[in-house]
This record gives sequence, structure tokens and C-alpha cells, in this order.
Amino acid sequence: MPEPTPLGTPAPRAAGAPRPPLVARLRSYLGLGVVAALAVVAYQSTNFDLASLFTGAADFFSFFGRLAPDWSALRIIWRPLIETMQIAYVGTVLGTSIALPLIFLASANTALDPISMLVARVVLTILRSIPDLLWAALFVTLLAPGALPGIVALTFFTVGVLAKLGSETVESADPGPLEALRAAGAGRNRTIVYAVWPQVAATMTSFILYSFEINVRASVILGFVGAGGIGQLLYTRLNFFDYSGVGAIVAVTFVVVLAVDAVSVWARSKLI
Amino acid sequence: MIPSTVPRPPAHVRRTQLFVGALAVAAVVLFVLALLTINWPTWARVQSGLTRNVAPLLNGLVRPDLKTFPLAWRSMWETFHMAVLGTLLGAVLAFPLSFLAAGNLLGGRPFAMPGKALLVGVRTFPEILLAIIFVAAAGPGPTAGIMAMGLHSIGFLGKIFSDVIEGIDAGPTEAIRAAGGGPIQVFLYAVVPQVLPEFASNVLYRFEINLRAAAVLGLVGAGGIGLPLLQRLQFRRWDEVSMLLLVIIAFVVTVDLISSRIRRRLV
Repeated sequence: MPEPTPLGTPAPRAAGAPRPPLVARLRSYLGLGVVAALAVVAYQSTNFDLASLFTGAADFFSFFGRLAPDWSALRIIWRPLIETMQIAYVGTVLGTSIALPLIFLASANTALDPISMLVARVVLTILRSIPDLLWAALFVTLLAPGALPGIVALTFFTVGVLAKLGSETVESADPGPLEALRAAGAGRNRTIVYAVWPQVAATMTSFILYSFEINVRASVILGFVGAGGIGQLLYTRLNFFDYSGVGAIVAVTFVVVLAVDAVSVWARSKLI
Repeated sequence: MIPSTVPRPPAHVRRTQLFVGALAVAAVVLFVLALLTINWPTWARVQSGLTRNVAPLLNGLVRPDLKTFPLAWRSMWETFHMAVLGTLLGAVLAFPLSFLAAGNLLGGRPFAMPGKALLVGVRTFPEILLAIIFVAAAGPGPTAGIMAMGLHSIGFLGKIFSDVIEGIDAGPTEAIRAAGGGPIQVFLYAVVPQVLPEFASNVLYRFEINLRAAAVLGLVGAGGIGLPLLQRLQFRRWDEVSMLLLVIIAFVVTVDLISSRIRRRLV
């Protein structure tokens, strides 16, 4: 027989408000501790100065004040701006056409054999870990400055972005239709065309549009390393301290980027 | 004539097919137009670039220069630390903003509009452009890169945070209000516990993105591995480029693996 609780002693914790289990609590404390330790180490190793955050912010905004657009720069903006969009677009199309077969090679349910699947996955992982601007710098050195290295860079970058998203979608496709077609004697290609593709087409198209949006933003800055487009003009103007010209370029570029973005987002919303 | 056994797809499916078809035609036409109008370099130029560089490049890539390893290792850690601070800065600043931009907490949609607009505005500026401005305003170094990443991450994280807040279950909020809790209690005991795991997961995801971004911020003088890499690219020291690339890839892949494992546990 348990002894009755004497009057006046505090009742045990209300049953309605259980504490999370000890392991979960320890884990979240551990997580916080790791983040805090990382922050301290990073703070010291980069000589980051929190005070400079405020002076830097002040400088930043006063700098923005000097960006009052000089609209006469508009005359020279259009050609590089169109080139920027061309780079983004051609890069997306080429990247997509390389990515699609690779996606099916790298997905467990549509792969040819385990070895080519592993190779495709390793290739895609490496492609994905290299940022867009690095690709551009590499190809500017390798080919020649201009739109071409920009296009090649975005092609590689798109393959990385799309393959990751795409193979997750392909692998989560309903296996029923695949098995049905295989049972009826269809080969790998027909299984992909008739069982997998109809299931993933809408999502995949939406991912393609999404990587186009990423590429439009990326193509704006590719010119910083000599890979064509508006970035090149922007970089020259910056180096000449022509801040009002920079202001005009930035303003127009972002209106155009937002407009392209809006069209793409609208198309995506129609798809899913 | 034998009637087809396959029924015509319903109207809404046909509409979608038409839409996709139109999209595909537009895509092809645009592609051809772009190919025709792009300012291509002359083939001779490309050819000379390729013949001069491809063999040394491949040669260098398969023989990473071991002497560059200490430099690569050191600059990649700096890059990593920049990404940590940039992401944290972005997360700390995005946290309050996301509540201002969420349409379900502070008096409804119209009140959230300024916050949403601010987040879209911040997001449009690529971090490399912000980095250039910070370098011009505050001098070169990792601090410029960290601030650029922090500022840019606000846009992304704030947007996702506010989406998460808008998606919370209204039950706990109402329960605490019904029990007499004020706005602070509602916030602490109904909103925060619901959104925290999603927030943490997205901060980690942003960290993966920022690590890649930090690796190129050095191209404009904002710290990290980008600058040593760019210098070696320009001097075509391919064996050293190879070592730097290897370290970047190894770091990024490792961080991705760890981060995605933690994220899977969080949500």
C-alpha cells in the first residue's frame, strides 16, 4: 500500500505537462552546445568583429545612398542584359538534357546496373558540390571569356541541381506501374517512358523551371569572373567607381529578374 | 471503324496537356532564337584555348599538388567558419522578421505585407554583389563575406520561417488563449515549440548552401578559399587548383552528408 501524500506537500508534476524524455533533452542541449562552440571557434578564427557589424551596416547604407541611378546608363544595359538571359536559358536547356538521362541512371528503380548507378551518383555528387561561379572561373580560363564559358558553367551547375531533386522524385515514384510493365515484358526504356515519366513529369517540369530561376540569378553574377552578361558591365562600372551607373544597372537587372521569376513561378503553380 | 477502348482524357487533363505542349513549343523556339543570337567566340579562339589548356588541366587534375594541401585546408576551414557565422547571423536576424511577415499572428495578411516585401527585396540581391558592396564599404576580408551571407540569408530564411509559422496548428494557440494565456505565453508555449524543428532544419539547409557560396566569395576579396583558387586558376597552376578543388569537394560532401542526416532526424 503506498502511503497517502500528506496534506501540504507539493503534488508531483502535473500529469498533463510531461517533461520531454531525458535523452531528447540531452540531445537538444548537445545540439545547442555544438552550435555555440562552432560559433565561438568561427568568431575567433575569422577575426569577425561584431562591432564592425554596426559600422559596416552604416557604411553599407551610406554606400547605397551613392547608388542613386543615373538612367543614361540604360543605353548600354540592354545587350548584356539580353545576353544574361540567353546564358541562363541555354544553360538550363543543355543542363536539363544532360541531367535527365543521368537522373534515370542514378535512381535505384530505373538504373541499368549497380555499377553505372554508383558512377552516376558519384559524378552528380561532385558536380553538385562545385558552386556556379567556380565553374564559370574554370571555364573562362579553359575556353575564352564571354558568353560561352557562362553557358557551359551553368550547364554543369544545372545538371547538379536538377539531378539531386530529380532522382529523389524518380525514386519515390509508385512501383506499381513499373512492375506491371516489367511483368508484361517491357524493357528499361519503355518502363521509364510509360511508367515513370508520366508520374514524375509535372514535378520534373517544375524543377526545371526552378533551376531556370536559379540560373537567371546566377547568370547575373557570372560576368564578375569574365563569363559574359550583365555582370561584366557591372564589374567594370564598379571598378570605375561609377556608382550611379551601377545603381541603374542593378535596378533594371532586378526588375527583369523579378519579372522572369514571376512568370516562372506562375507556370510552376499551374503545373502542380 | 473500331471504337477506341481508351477513353479521351477529361477536360482538365487535356487543358494541362495543351499548356505543357505550348510551354514546350515556346521553349524550343526560344532556344533556337538564343542559339542564333548569342555572341559566340570564334572557333579558332576556343580551339586555341582548348589545345593550350586541356592537356595541362587533365594532367594537373590527376596530380593534385600535395604542397598546397596546408593552404587549402586552412582556407577551407576559414570558408567553413564564414559559412557558420553568416548562417547564424542570417538566422538570428530572420527570426524576428519572419514573425512580422507571417500572415496569421499579427493582425492578419495586410499587416504582413511590408515584412514580406522586405524579405523578397533582400533575397533578390545575390550575396556576391552584397559582398562586393561590403568589401567596397568596409574593406576586404572574411567579415565582408560573413555580412553579405548573413544579409542574403535573411531573405531565404525569413521567407521559409514565415511559411512555417503560417502553417502551424491553431489548436495549441487557442488552447493557451482559452486557459487565459497572454500573447507572450501563446508565443512561448504554442508557437515556438511547433516551429523550432522546422526552423533548425532549414537553417542547416541554408548552411549547406552558404558553404558553397562562401567558397566563391573570395573571388571578390571577401575571404575564404575563393581567392587562392582564383589566383591559381589565372596562373593555370592546375595541380594546385586540383588540390584546392579536392578539399572543397570533400568538405562540401561531408557537410552535406552530416547535415542531411541531422535534418532527417529533426523533421
